[in-house]
Amino acid sequence: MQAYLLSLLLIIPLAGALVTLAMPSTSKQFRTIALAISLLQVIVLLLVFSHYSTQQNGLQLIELKPWITLDMGAWGILKANYFLAVDGLSLPLVALSVIVILIAVISSWKIEKSPKGYFALLLILNAAVIGTFCAQDFLLFYLFFEFMLLPMFFLIGIWGGVKREYASIKFFLYTLLGSIFILIVMIALYLSTQSIGDGELIIHSFSLVDMQDVNNIISNSILDPQRNVSILGMSARTWAFILLFIGFGIKLPMIPLHTWLPDAHVEAPTPISVLLAALLLKIGGYGLLRITYPIFPDIALELSWLVALFGVVSIIYGGLAAMASKDLKRLIAYSSVSHMGFVLLGVASVTPEGSAGAIYQMVSHGIISTMLFLLVGVLYDRTHDRMIGNYSGLSTKMPVYFTFTLIAFFASLGLPGLSGFMAELMVFLGAFKSGSTNYLLHESFAIVATFGLVLGAIYYLWTLQRMFFGKFHVKSGINNNLADVDLREKIMLIPLLLITITLGIFPQLLLDFINPFAEAFSSSILESGKTLRALLQR
Amino acid sequence: MQGIAEKLEWIQLSLGYFLPELLLCVSVIFLLLASLFSKAKERATDAFALTFFIGAFVLSLLQYSEVSSTIPLFSGMLQLNNFSTHLKILIDLAAILTVLLSYSQKERKGEYYALIATATLGAHLLVMSSNLVMAFLALELISLPSYALAAFGFQKKSMEAALKYFLFGSVASAIMLYGMSMLYGQTLTLDFASSTFRQAIFDNQNYFLVISVCFVLVGFLFKMSSAPVHPWAPDVYEASTTPVVAFFSVVPKLAGLGILIHFIQALNLGGYSSIRWYVIISLIAILTLIIGNFAALLQKNPKRMMAYSSIAQSGFLLIGAITLNEQGIAVMLYYATAFLLANYLVFWYIAYFEEQTVVEIADYAGVGKTQPFASIMLLIGLISLTGLPPTAGFMAKLFIFSSLWTAYEDSQAIIYMMLFVVGLLNTVVSLFFYLKIPYQAFLKAESRTLTIKKSILVNLFGIIVVIMLLVLFFMPSSLMGWLNRINFAL
Repeated sequence: MQAYLLSLLLIIPLAGALVTLAMPSTSKQFRTIALAISLLQVIVLLLVFSHYSTQQNGLQLIELKPWITLDMGAWGILKANYFLAVDGLSLPLVALSVIVILIAVISSWKIEKSPKGYFALLLILNAAVIGTFCAQDFLLFYLFFEFMLLPMFFLIGIWGGVKREYASIKFFLYTLLGSIFILIVMIALYLSTQSIGDGELIIHSFSLVDMQDVNNIISNSILDPQRNVSILGMSARTWAFILLFIGFGIKLPMIPLHTWLPDAHVEAPTPISVLLAALLLKIGGYGLLRITYPIFPDIALELSWLVALFGVVSIIYGGLAAMASKDLKRLIAYSSVSHMGFVLLGVASVTPEGSAGAIYQMVSHGIISTMLFLLVGVLYDRTHDRMIGNYSGLSTKMPVYFTFTLIAFFASLGLPGLSGFMAELMVFLGAFKSGSTNYLLHESFAIVATFGLVLGAIYYLWTLQRMFFGKFHVKSGINNNLADVDLREKIMLIPLLLITITLGIFPQLLLDFINPFAEAFSSSILESGKTLRALLQR
Repeated sequence: MQGIAEKLEWIQLSLGYFLPELLLCVSVIFLLLASLFSKAKERATDAFALTFFIGAFVLSLLQYSEVSSTIPLFSGMLQLNNFSTHLKILIDLAAILTVLLSYSQKERKGEYYALIATATLGAHLLVMSSNLVMAFLALELISLPSYALAAFGFQKKSMEAALKYFLFGSVASAIMLYGMSMLYGQTLTLDFASSTFRQAIFDNQNYFLVISVCFVLVGFLFKMSSAPVHPWAPDVYEASTTPVVAFFSVVPKLAGLGILIHFIQALNLGGYSSIRWYVIISLIAILTLIIGNFAALLQKNPKRMMAYSSIAQSGFLLIGAITLNEQGIAVMLYYATAFLLANYLVFWYIAYFEEQTVVEIADYAGVGKTQPFASIMLLIGLISLTGLPPTAGFMAKLFIFSSLWTAYEDSQAIIYMMLFVVGLLNTVVSLFFYLKIPYQAFLKAESRTLTIKKSILVNLFGIIVVIMLLVLFFMPSSLMGWLNRINFAL
């Protein structure tokens, strides 16, 4: 049983998608199926947790089956595996995915436009997201990564808002461009990586574990640091790092590759916005931590300042753009850009605190942004309008809604006691520490980034003031008969709220999982980075 | 000069290796006579044509030999090796699929199939040619029936397209013939597989040689609808009937590719050539990729779009041809197989929708809602052409770019890196136009009601091809393992 838990997590939604497709399109039960699937996944997730040991570092619940083994003659043997496993990085994100998808299914309860297609795509997306976080083989990772694009394209393009077609195409093209960059590096990497075999032929491995081991670099391959191939004035390894950084940076998104995000968010229906913000963005950060940094530690040490710079720019620019947004959903989209900047900064610090903070931020932002988008959805359902300026004094009319929004906003702006604070605190600790321990980042990065918190406070408090305080008023033409949060919405919001508070007060709950990974991550990057640079200088 | 006895001996020796081609010759005559003496029997003609092509397919399949060497046939006019055999198999497969696709074609079935069989025969001969005159004859044997096939829509537009095709084709052939005569002047032999030819090439590594080779390539590239001699393709594709277009987009392309690889292989002198032919081919590939993909963005007609798509795909196939080693060839054949399947799948459904008067891309609006199954099938075909997982197209692209990367690793030629990057970035561009039809089908609202003709045959074919595309992704070793075991030494 234990050996198949992660596969089960993937197979359940795929089976659900098949069942959905097989049913007649007049059926009303699609949402029930999707809900049942999500609840089943929660049970499997609990089993996963029960088999996971926080004492142990490294990959656990490993499933390793040969997938492709091809003898390519002169190239050697090409080997890709069906390789699933979780560790302190994957598991929190897998758990986040299961929870957020469950919420998204409940949030999709009232979808009326071709529900069959909608829930089938949602279930495929479900499997793809979880697969991306579990795959430890680059080809498998890439398969899941690309597999998210098409369902997402249709989910935005068919069920989205007015400009949905433009937004979906833009989303698809940006992400595909990013994934092509990743593909370039993947080809280069597997042809430069060998795994130890018994025959005389070289075994080219797609395994991420093999790729992370310095000893597996094939000598005299393009990515061999000792050969030091230069392409257009930069070393091949630097190119590879930068391409991966851009590829995952588009997904993250970081400034200036973020422009698809506000459009996609604004046009997407609420549940899809939730999935996009809470899960798909995380794949960018996950990719950095899982692939870019561990495989190119030498370049990571060299270019961490650049990563941090993009992080800080994202934090500040995202905050400013959020402040200037008139559309509530756009504001939250930009605040996502700002918050994901902290992930970049945390990763770039290469300290245990910073990397743990980055992961913590990903989980925390996943929960908080889900809440925020749901709250926008609540308002939009009632009025079909999201303009901040069209409302005022909502707190008198919708007190429960106001309470939820207040807490969500405070969580997002980093109030102590809520999860966002812990995450950002750790990122700052890491960024400051980096300046004095491993000398990767100058302290000024952290100092500038703190202004992001101020900006966050400004745009959230200002929005509260504009929308909720004062005399009740909505712009004429908008339905002003505003009902407060109903039961279904409460069912979605309350668990998220509790998670945010729990993670804010008892960070150790999550850190127990993250810390072993974060420590191993930062020390191995520093170590193997130095080894590789020493090779280069020789 | 050879004596009569010697020639007879050659013929006697060669005939055993010439069975698929003989069968095709018989089929041409039979189909023509059958249409002459018995009218109307449409389905019977279909069945005959199908049987003949399946026969040729099986005979070609049987030609696979573990013999590593190349067998010369007919005094060295032709040569048989595993590479040409595999291309012949693919060409026959395409012919079979064309017959299936022509199911709804009504007029002049006998002549129609005879023309297709003639062009298939020409393609067979072209991939086996090792003599420039033979190559010219084989090429014309593809061209002449193709001109007639292009006109088979029997409308003013298709006549115009056929005439354009003919004019372009004649000029290309003339240039090629001129190049061949220049080559003959330098090498004093037409047999480009011979050692005399190689020696002469080795002695004459100069610009004159480059120019004459480029002239010869014009003819081959024309058949591949590759830049810069591609402009015939869009007009012809738009005006011809869909089965013919599907045939055009695969058979002459593979044939042209086969002869091009043989020819460049001979010129390359096993790597001792001081002229870097791969640079020329890389430049052609880059140009083809860019022109094909970017021009496709502007198209409003699905067949015209597919014409540019097929131009772009020639660029990818050329990438496979560049490395000129066994692995490169194996990978290229994998790509060709994936391309063939996906291409026929797409044309199959374009024909299906055409019958419902869905002609322009804009007409596809809303069909995803009314006919989800057919639209999803079409989507999978297009996704495979784009090269996204989980379809054969992705694996094919992965292999082909891996082959290019290893070539770069060995030679450090910057042109390979450029081709690598241009090729992969063009994938993004290609997504944009490949998505045009699904975009209309799924995202746009229905503009008019169509009379749906449910066809079990069409969907059965669709399912089979889709399963093959998925199998080629999840189990690439099913085909690649086989290709790797075959010796493709040229």
